[in-house]
Amino acid sequence: MRIERRVERQAPFSIIVEGETLPAYPGETIAAVLIERSPTIGRTASGAARGMFCNMGTCSLCMVTLLPEGRRVRACLTPAEPGLEIGLG
Amino acid sequence: MAERYDLVIVGGGPAGQAAALALEGNGLAIGVIDEQLRPGGQILRQPPREFSVASWMTGKVYAPLLKQLRQFEAATGIDWLGGRSVLGLAPDAGHGFALTVSGRDGVETIRASRVLLATGCQDLAVPLPGWTLPGVYTAGGIQAFVKSQQIVPGNRIVMAGTHPLQLLIAAQIVASGGTVAAVLFAQKRRTMMRQLAGHALKAAREASALLPAGAAMALLQRHRVPVRYGESPVAILGKDRVESLRSTEREIACDAIGLCYGFVPQSALPRMAGADMIAGSRAGGWSTECDAWFRTSVAGLYAAGETTGVAGAAAARTAGTIAGTGIAIDFGLVSEEEATSRVSHARSERARHLEFADLLDTIADPSGHFPRIEAETIVCRCEDVPSATITPLLDGRSANAVKLASRCGMGLCQGRNCEPTLLRLLAGSGRTDEDNGFTARFPARPVMLGDLAAPK
Amino acid sequence: MQNADVLIVGGGLVGCATAWHLARGGAQVVLVEAGDIGMGASGQNAGSLHFQLERRFLENGEALAEQAAQTAALNRLAIDDWRRLETELGADLHVVMDGGLMVAETAEQVAILERKVARENAQGINTRLLDGDEARTLAPCLSPGILAAGFLADEGHADARSVTRAFAQAAAASGASLHSRSPVTSASRIERHFEIGFRESTVRAERLVLACGAWTPILCAKLNLHMPLYPVALQMNATERTGPRIGHLIQHVGRRLSMKQTDAGNILIGGGWPARLASDPRGAFDPAGKPVLIPASLAGNLRAAIDTAPFVETLNLIRTWTGVTAISADQLPIVGEVPSMPGCWVAGGGSAFTLGPTFARLMAQAMVGTPTPELDIVSPARFEHLNSFMG
Ligand SMILES: Cc1cc2nc3c(=O)[nH]c(=O)nc-3n(C[C@H](O)[C@H](O)[C@H](O)COP(=O)(O)OP(=O)(O)OC[C@H]3O[C@@H](n4cnc5c(N)ncnc54)[C@H](O)[C@@H]3O)c2cc1C
Ligand SMILES: Cc1cc2nc3c(=O)[nH]c(=O)nc-3n(C[C@H](O)[C@H](O)[C@H](O)COP(=O)(O)OP(=O)(O)OC[C@H]3O[C@@H](n4cnc5c(N)ncnc54)[C@H](O)[C@@H]3O)c2cc1C
Ligand code: FES
Repeated sequence: MRIERRVERQAPFSIIVEGETLPAYPGETIAAVLIERSPTIGRTASGAARGMFCNMGTCSLCMVTLLPEGRRVRACLTPAEPGLEIGLG
Repeated sequence: MAERYDLVIVGGGPAGQAAALALEGNGLAIGVIDEQLRPGGQILRQPPREFSVASWMTGKVYAPLLKQLRQFEAATGIDWLGGRSVLGLAPDAGHGFALTVSGRDGVETIRASRVLLATGCQDLAVPLPGWTLPGVYTAGGIQAFVKSQQIVPGNRIVMAGTHPLQLLIAAQIVASGGTVAAVLFAQKRRTMMRQLAGHALKAAREASALLPAGAAMALLQRHRVPVRYGESPVAILGKDRVESLRSTEREIACDAIGLCYGFVPQSALPRMAGADMIAGSRAGGWSTECDAWFRTSVAGLYAAGETTGVAGAAAARTAGTIAGTGIAIDFGLVSEEEATSRVSHARSERARHLEFADLLDTIADPSGHFPRIEAETIVCRCEDVPSATITPLLDGRSANAVKLASRCGMGLCQGRNCEPTLLRLLAGSGRTDEDNGFTARFPARPVMLGDLAAPK
Repeated sequence: MQNADVLIVGGGLVGCATAWHLARGGAQVVLVEAGDIGMGASGQNAGSLHFQLERRFLENGEALAEQAAQTAALNRLAIDDWRRLETELGADLHVVMDGGLMVAETAEQVAILERKVARENAQGINTRLLDGDEARTLAPCLSPGILAAGFLADEGHADARSVTRAFAQAAAASGASLHSRSPVTSASRIERHFEIGFRESTVRAERLVLACGAWTPILCAKLNLHMPLYPVALQMNATERTGPRIGHLIQHVGRRLSMKQTDAGNILIGGGWPARLASDPRGAFDPAGKPVLIPASLAGNLRAAIDTAPFVETLNLIRTWTGVTAISADQLPIVGEVPSMPGCWVAGGGSAFTLGPTFARLMAQAMVGTPTPELDIVSPARFEHLNSFMG
């Protein structure tokens, strides 16, 4: 849930997550955009649903793939940018 | 960015800022690296520049920290190198250090004659059945969403653990319009009060530090958020995400949980550099061993703030001032005598903060309150290693040997989350000889192969 | 004082495998390990099962290449040993022997490859030379820049984390007595016996096996012997897990590289890139110290991996580790009884993950008098001159 009280954001743009278009506000991390969608951001090796954990860059459980480049980044440290396409899992 | 810095500070929290400010104006080339885009550290994780947030972190205790932060941001002689992760550091051809640093557009080597590690701490990760379900976060992680990203990551949040910080976090959630289903303290209220009373004198002197907890309690009461004591989480339930928490007393419906059992120092970099470490707080982990000027056992390497022990932001700040002044001595910019008098105020302040930190540490002590781990409970989240895989290996072998045999600690987080648990299990299995935990390995953060193969 | 038939110092792959062979043959075996079982080179290595001539033998002249080719008989035995190992030990060791490719990127490298394949074929190792397209059909992950590859169907890899432990468990089950966290502090020869001291114990045996990897010279010194084994520190890299992409062992004939995918999905990248050995307070190399990473090694290793299999470029590196192993004066392993000290056996040097199970089996055979001509080429006898002044 985005906090509305006392917070002003700029006009949103969209990013694509697994083919789904999601709104993002300038300055938001990819993690923030994802968590508004679902706490699940992938699957573990054994197939269990996986979420992020530390939100500060130390656990790397929030790894997502930037497409089409393929670079894998920690979502909680990486700001969303207009037009960004992201793959999970 | 400079060709070579006189000093690189890793971490732009209260400690790193204070050290930089203590040295500013001396003509030194100083760079401050942080993986966050903006300075502040964990306590003042700033909202993105693009947001405008009215009355952010207005509490009285934050005032001196905010003032320092603004001074730091305004300082001209300091290079802010945000959005960069330090992956490792090594001696640089006989002089100083080479830091391998990754950023959005690749890996670079940053050189410095001296390095100060002010990398702070991280939440102690505490396993219990179901804790790997999406929606379970570290308490600090939830808080960072609230204060920085301005998001409440759930519609009904439960905070559970032993650390009083969870009261503050719950209050921040409620103040932001979120709903906290309950705050659970594993320890009894009576015990906490007794500990507080036992420290009455010192606590009274540090009353201002307790104020936020009091204010938080009042706010939670107003919003009818139950704060319960002597109630521990037993299991987290849900199919593909958190649906409820079962405690020793009841089942509580919720969609997000913050685990708050205390903090452990970030120790990857000092350990990688070969600095002597000592056992961390009651919560576990490893602190960097330092002398009175925060020199580590490695020449030219310093550590300050919670990397040297978890003692709160105010203490971290005083440590930064002392470390910065100590570094000035080592650069020959100031005599030890002059430096000593410069930091006398910081030292006496620090002594007070440490007393308070010790009180907090006593109250928040998680030992004896860890949730029960079942055979199928995951200990290592990265590699999905359940405790049943680890238990038969607890035959006296080292943490490294358990890691090799079980994959516990072999994942992306480099064992940062599971190491304290494993060391507890090892100690609990009757092992008496010292175990230094996992050998710290490069890189401190995952990094793309292509970036490392073609450093800038 | 405890008595044993054979005393083994070192609980790496070689020591544990030797203990297993001897114990199941009925010998009373005591194995003493300084740390935990399998935490030396045997737990740090890349897990490659390479039976093609290694690149390190090809970059130092024809004579060495020819000499190394003479060890082909050992390789042939090792292939059979590895094929049987999981069944014999009753353990899942992730042994994958689906073939190995040694690639070439330049015309010059292709020429080296051709000579290498001819040499191997002459020794009964059935390497085939593939052109780039054939190689890519077999292993689609290979770069378009690959011009040719030597393919040997028997090569592969295994899980270094579990092999040594499995040997140790099997040895214990066969009655061997294994002592970990017991550094050997004294070793002496008293008449026809050896006496080994560790912790509060002394064990006496007529036979002693020194299987202490990079530490072998230190143990030899306690017995007044020279042994030309030298510690070397190597770097290894692991990526995050990814879907199945590499089925083979991949090596490079002109660049230092070994690559494979583990059962869990990580890609392991190594190939002999050096780290800096630690030194002790007197300045001597210290095999027990943590070696220091060399950034240029790291970059060079990853560059070679990306050039060979470009898809790895976007994967994350999650760990680089260092390990210490032993290399001998002439690069060939040293395995066998020391002529000037009957009863004392050494086994060290070279790629003893690949060849360790075979060394162990042959040594155990040799001890009961079965001829083992395959060991002749690696016998310590070739260095006896070093001990001719050791009184
Ligand atoms: C998530 C979290 C929330 C917290 N909230 C509170 C609170 O509300 N109130 C309170 O009193 N205390 C809080 N604490 C404790 C708090 O961290 C300290 O009191 C204080 O911030 C410590 O200051 P410091 O300067 O030592 O470290 P920090 O403020 O933690 O600063 C360290 C900085 O180093 C950076 N860093 C670490 N490793 C690397 C690396 N490898 N490369 C690049 N940068 C790196 C981090 O990004 C961070 O910005 C929190 C701790 C955590 C972990
Ligand atoms: C990074 C790396 C990658 C490699 N990759 C490969 C590969 O892909 N394929 C391959 O075939 N080979 C590879 N090797 C080589 C291979 O790992 C070794 O040749 C092999 O493991 C040697 O086994 P070992 O039992 O002789 O020695 P080790 O495994 O080193 O065991 C020696 C043991 O002796 C113990 N010891 C030492 N001193 C004492 C003492 N005083 N008392 C008691 N015990 C003592 C040590 O603690 C140690 O456990 C690699 C090596 C390294 C380091
Ligand atoms: S959630 Fe832990 S690194 Fe992003």
